[in-house]
Amino acid sequence: MPERHWRTPLDAEKAVRPKAEIHIIKDQCKGCGFCIQYCPKKVLEESDEINARGVHPPRVVDEKECIICSFCTAVCPDFAIFVKEKQCKDGC
Amino acid sequence: MEMAKQEIRIGVYVCHCGLNIAGSVDCEEVAKFAASLPNVVLAKDYRYTCSDQGQELIKKDIRENRLNRVVVASCTPRLHEPTFRKVCEEAGLNKYLFEMANIREQCSWVHLHDREAATEKAKDLVKMAVAKAALLAPAEEIEVPIIRKALVIGGGVAGIQVALDLADTGYKVYLVEKQPSIGGMMARIDKTFPTMDCSICILAPKMSDVGHHPNIELLANSEVIDVKGYIGNFHVKVLKKPRYVKEDCTACGDCSKVCPITAPNEFDAGLALRHAIYTPFAQAVPSTYIIDMNLCLNKDEIMVCDKCIKACERQAIDFTMKPETVELEVGTIIVATGTDVFDPSTLPNYGYGKYLNVITSLEFERLINAGGPSGGRLIRPSDMKIPKRVAFIQCVGSRSNKSGRTYCSNVCCMNTIKDSLLIKEHWPETEIYVFYVDIRAYGKGFEDLYKRAKNERAIFIRGLPAEIIEDPKTRNLWLIGENTLLKEPYKLNFDLVILSVGLEPRKDSEIIQRLLTLSRTQDGFFMEAHPKLRPVDAATGGIFFAGCAEAPKDIKDSVTQASAAAARAGILMAKGKVTVEAITPVLDVEKCKACGLCTKVCPYNAITLNKELKRVEIVEAACGGCGTCAAECPSDALTQSHFTDEQIMAQIDAVTEHDAEKKIVAFCCNWCAYAGADFAGVSRMQYPPNVRIIRTMCSGRVAPKFVERAFARGAAAVLVAGCHPGDCHYINANYQTQKRVERLWRKMEQNGLDKERLQLLWVTAAEGERFASKIREMQKLIEKVTMEEIELAKRVFAKAGGA
Repeated sequence: MPERHWRTPLDAEKAVRPKAEIHIIKDQCKGCGFCIQYCPKKVLEESDEINARGVHPPRVVDEKECIICSFCTAVCPDFAIFVKEKQCKDGC
Repeated sequence: MEMAKQEIRIGVYVCHCGLNIAGSVDCEEVAKFAASLPNVVLAKDYRYTCSDQGQELIKKDIRENRLNRVVVASCTPRLHEPTFRKVCEEAGLNKYLFEMANIREQCSWVHLHDREAATEKAKDLVKMAVAKAALLAPAEEIEVPIIRKALVIGGGVAGIQVALDLADTGYKVYLVEKQPSIGGMMARIDKTFPTMDCSICILAPKMSDVGHHPNIELLANSEVIDVKGYIGNFHVKVLKKPRYVKEDCTACGDCSKVCPITAPNEFDAGLALRHAIYTPFAQAVPSTYIIDMNLCLNKDEIMVCDKCIKACERQAIDFTMKPETVELEVGTIIVATGTDVFDPSTLPNYGYGKYLNVITSLEFERLINAGGPSGGRLIRPSDMKIPKRVAFIQCVGSRSNKSGRTYCSNVCCMNTIKDSLLIKEHWPETEIYVFYVDIRAYGKGFEDLYKRAKNERAIFIRGLPAEIIEDPKTRNLWLIGENTLLKEPYKLNFDLVILSVGLEPRKDSEIIQRLLTLSRTQDGFFMEAHPKLRPVDAATGGIFFAGCAEAPKDIKDSVTQASAAAARAGILMAKGKVTVEAITPVLDVEKCKACGLCTKVCPYNAITLNKELKRVEIVEAACGGCGTCAAECPSDALTQSHFTDEQIMAQIDAVTEHDAEKKIVAFCCNWCAYAGADFAGVSRMQYPPNVRIIRTMCSGRVAPKFVERAFARGAAAVLVAGCHPGDCHYINANYQTQKRVERLWRKMEQNGLDKERLQLLWVTAAEGERFASKIREMQKLIEKVTMEEIELAKRVFAKAGGA
């Protein structure tokens, strides 16, 4: 398409995206980094802290970017991460 | 070969054409002269040779006097060659044994007041024709079968109409569309002018017909990647890109709802969002959803997100789909690739892309459309309010050197008039100003619509704004310019400005041009075979145009042209075969050194190099008959039938036999230069009588040795004339002409010859005066050429010319 699309689409604000709630069970993480590597929206990064297993568990960069694909849960060998959808009645 | 052994018996007929020829040429004397020429067994002058009686006379003579060649000296072969060829055939003589001398358009009509010189010239022209006639050979036209299937490239309204017309006629049609859905530009427009019909409402049923037609195979999301072959027998490869959604899709949209990825929808000019899995618009055909792999998270075969798969009840989503190449055999191809719109952000003075409230006419269409992103409310993008004062600016990207688009885009005037009425219909209080250069309301019902817009108090101001300035607080826009009718400057404030953007050739036209060996005009649109009489044919056989691919046009014209293209393609397919004029090259296998030079100059890719057999191979059906291959061949292995080296040399020799030092030998291409010279005759433009024209199909046929031969025989000057570059009837063969003439010029300079004696002229069929003035100019030139110079040229070219 040669036409340039430079405007913010009129319905950009109306596009509802589910709000994510990312849970990381830090001490269960062995620091393989799969979740960070495979997250399609690059929501995670390595943190500075050191957990019970002596590694750096991941940290959430921007929870709003998460699209709840739950691929992190799928690739985590240690069941250390899962995502839930924030229910709006909980005040999102 | 057999013919050559036979005694050659030529009959010559000199036509009076009433007084058209006899008025300034002594026809009786010319006939007497003709009778004295070698191989001529009879020569007659006759009042109207093309009349029934004249035709009967020739037939009778062929039978009674065993004529095996016929020469008619009368009008241009472009007029009556077919007539006399038919006469010969009816008398049992092969039609390729007929030759014509043009003593009307190129003699009597251009030398009205010099009977003596005109008569001498007519004699020369007859002598040339007789010389060529003696060397003519009978030829059979080959017949090529035509596959009764068509390929339509592009699924806009033009492509849709072509496909439906051909499919309804009973032919199998493949419709290839690059986008996920057919519909093209028309699907994006709200209303059509001048009737204000709802665009998609009238288009959608046609789109649906295409989807369901038993004779149409729709290949959407696909691109033509390769075309081989020739008229009637094209082998096409189409890349069918995967949709990742199977045809089981019911278009329920459940997948789209759960897709977490969004991006601007191209169909809505980026004014609305779509998801990675989507359908571009509600009426899309095919209705099957599609996944945009540039956006989808599942890349490189890693399944990250499966929301759509889970949401799809029909289990129609299939990420394992791969691109496939579909191979098609078709007889005809219709190019309906449509148009792009001008990008106004290249004009900084209008601030498009910077000022939110400056929009394009295409964005307007989406905003005013009830199914569009704003639900049919015309809103200002800055604050979503309905504007009270609206300005349209015309000719944005049309008729302007600044934008680089000098042509009129044809639809914008009426589109703006329609748009202004649409605004008035919804919000009658809106003040509307239209800034224009000229309003072109030329079609049926157009002027009425223009009047209606004026009656509705749309204000038309002649003079485009020089600049738009935005008020940073209100985001309103100041338009500054000059009202050229009142000769007064204006500075007016508006809430919303709509740029009426022009149409331009598709960015990827070059790919189609290369694949199908087409030519394009200077504007970049595809060029038709003849602007008046073959407006939907491409110069390449079996290929036709429909819609904006050929030039900007409105929906009605696109549909009209589409039906015309369908009819033209249908004629070929109904016949089921086509004959190719026997002017194709003939290869002398012994002489061919497999250098491959001819394959490089052939505009039609009709010659291929067979490395194993160490020779080239000619596909006669693909050949256009320009003869540039024969001119290029360094070992004389190729010769063009009916325009052989021998025949053309014989014509040159006939011209230069007497008084060569006073003559101009001209080589003119059949389509432009020869026709231009004819036009000079029809318009009775007078020019000096010293020129002798030799007709070739293309100036690309003019081998350097022809020019050298003319000089070697003492000609004062040589003219090579063809179509303007880019206008060549044989796509680009005349570029070879230019190269060859430039080589000859260098050679002349190196040998101390005045290169002005060889002239190259580009002239169209309509430029009679250009041709006439060139001859006048050359006449002055040859008067200055000295005998020493003539002799020097004779010596320089003696060897090469083979005289």
